[in-house]
Amino acid sequence: MAPPVLAEKPTVTPRPGRRRRPGFGRRDHLIGWLLIAPAVVYFLVFLLFPALAALYYSFTDWNLRTAPNWVGLANYTDLLFDDAKYPHFWQSIKVTLQYTIIAVPLTLGTALIQALLLNAIHRGSNFFRLLLFLPVVTAEAAVGAIWRWLYDPQYGLINTFIELFGIPRQNWLNTPELVIPALSFIAAWQCGISMIIYLAGLKGIPTSIREAAVIDGAGPVQRFWRVVVPMLRPTTFYLLVTGVIAALQVFGLVYVIFSGGGNRSVTGGPEQSGLTYVLHLYLYAFRYDAMGAACAMSFILFLFIMIVTAMQFKFVKQEAS
Amino acid sequence: MIRRVTGAAAAVALLAGLTACGGGSDEAGASTMLTYWMFQDRTPQAGEVVDKIRADFEKVNPGVTVKIVKIPKDDYNTKLGSAISSGSGPDVGVLDQPLVPRFALDGTIKEVPAGLVDEKAFYEGALETNRVNAKLYGLPIDHTAVALFYNKKFVPTPPKTWDELKQIAAKVHQADPKTAGMVVPKGDGYGGWMWPGFVAGAGGDMVDVQNKKIHFNEQPAVDALQLWVDLLPSSPREITDSDKSFENGLAGMMISGPWDVANIKDQFPDLQLGVAPLPYKTEPAGNIGGENAVVFSKGKNADLAWKWLAFITNADNNTQLAQALGGFPVNIAAAERDAATFGPDQAAFLEQLKVARARPAVPEWIQINDEIIAPALESALSGKSTAKESLDDAAAKTRTLLGWTG
Repeated sequence: MAPPVLAEKPTVTPRPGRRRRPGFGRRDHLIGWLLIAPAVVYFLVFLLFPALAALYYSFTDWNLRTAPNWVGLANYTDLLFDDAKYPHFWQSIKVTLQYTIIAVPLTLGTALIQALLLNAIHRGSNFFRLLLFLPVVTAEAAVGAIWRWLYDPQYGLINTFIELFGIPRQNWLNTPELVIPALSFIAAWQCGISMIIYLAGLKGIPTSIREAAVIDGAGPVQRFWRVVVPMLRPTTFYLLVTGVIAALQVFGLVYVIFSGGGNRSVTGGPEQSGLTYVLHLYLYAFRYDAMGAACAMSFILFLFIMIVTAMQFKFVKQEAS
Repeated sequence: MIRRVTGAAAAVALLAGLTACGGGSDEAGASTMLTYWMFQDRTPQAGEVVDKIRADFEKVNPGVTVKIVKIPKDDYNTKLGSAISSGSGPDVGVLDQPLVPRFALDGTIKEVPAGLVDEKAFYEGALETNRVNAKLYGLPIDHTAVALFYNKKFVPTPPKTWDELKQIAAKVHQADPKTAGMVVPKGDGYGGWMWPGFVAGAGGDMVDVQNKKIHFNEQPAVDALQLWVDLLPSSPREITDSDKSFENGLAGMMISGPWDVANIKDQFPDLQLGVAPLPYKTEPAGNIGGENAVVFSKGKNADLAWKWLAFITNADNNTQLAQALGGFPVNIAAAERDAATFGPDQAAFLEQLKVARARPAVPEWIQINDEIIAPALESALSGKSTAKESLDDAAAKTRTLLGWTG
């Protein structure tokens, strides 16, 4: 965007005529362009160009090293139908969907409960807000190490805790059926951003409506279901859409949890039970030498996310009522 | 006005700086510059060792500058790949063992010129990791292997054979049900890397690349997997899946590499650690890891690059280099001369490396290891299928993937 801006510069110098209405002059255009230039350049160079390049590479056999050869739709058809070449592609989809279905509602529920609690207290709410937000800003590697300890089959606090209720100890991260719930639980613990947005949503509910409900004799439970939940609907919708998108792309969490033990190679947990879609993609891109196929995977995910998001816009109620 | 002047001055200074940098590299071009890529140093001392070898090489080769570029290991392959594809790759550099076949078959690296080194001077296992279709594409610079770690508190004398291993594991667990006999490897990529050492210990082989035949579903391999399955009752996962179970004294034995010796000595000084070669069924054998170095087709000064690799792997230099890299010398003369300097805990690895077997030289091997063999191991270990069934299934999948018939 820079060259046209520079070319225009000389023509700007003459002052606009006296009679001209105050409006959006050339100089203002120039300033406008300059102001948005960083964002535009960033978008073009770091988002649009790589995305288009990835689209091109998804039709090639590129391995990051030698010149790519055009293979047409082969990457896409092989991914979907060739089990020998991609034995765990469908497994990675299954894992990701399971994770999304469990983690998103769990995260939204936890965030809403935390927001309601914070909204109810007046003293020290900043302190508790900080505490609840800390998991979001904690380095992912540290989160992985801490949760590996918490889930440890011998010394883990989680096992000690559930034993109090008579539930037998579990080998959380090494039992295929428990891996996704265990990961979802960590995601819910990291719900700080959703919590802050819910908190803002709660503050936006006019007190008059609440008071009116109280006068009409609504109890706390009724007020929650009849006033708070409907009034928060736009917030919930926003968090649902962004939460689903994030869950479908989950990577860092699984990576740190399953690579935490030093020499462990990241093949996605016991029996591929934690092999999420993006982890699978990452392995093909950087470990199995198949960047072309990995690019195709990223476009399949892109299309899938687009469809899921469109469906949410169509079928989920988003207006406050 | 003043602002404009300072702005102009800044611009001039910047330009001057740029040309100065440009000039710098031109000047170096007058002598011969060799670019060598390697993994980031593990310790500052390791960096000094590498630096000393570089200085020695420059001394005996006047007019030569070796520019060493160090890259964190986790980013190395990605950086190398993108540098090569953009034409800014190194002349010579380190390459992970399983990547050699990939790079060799697509012409990214050069074949070792005849007569550069005496092949007999190298450990066979380490050298073989550079061979693809009977041609040599690089030199090993250090190598490493796994061995049996045992806690002398539970295991006074280490087992030599599989039968002894099973007996000792059972005894340890019987004496105290809260202690596991051994940390049995898992069906993941790491377990898949160790398993061929056991297959070879029963006299078996993974594949025959030349004749395109799969062997890892034959009896020796089935026996090797069955051994792991048989060890599980005396080595329950709920004990061994705990973080650092061996180090914390929850397990009598484990299989690991030399990197853990240093960690254990440092963090668990009270543990009575012993290290022995892997137990075997019919013959001593083991797996292999470590670093190779290769010369890139698009690089410059190939002759000099090979000379550099011969220099860092010769009997004079290889021990220091390998120790700095955290492995063992690949040069037999160097290893034999310096064996005593390695200490008793490292002796087992040196023994192990004499019988190490290279991974199959198939470009898809990492994928086969992670995506086909590892799940097969896990399937047998979790009891979902027998060792034979799961390996037959893995063999069939590998055949389809590679288009092999045998």
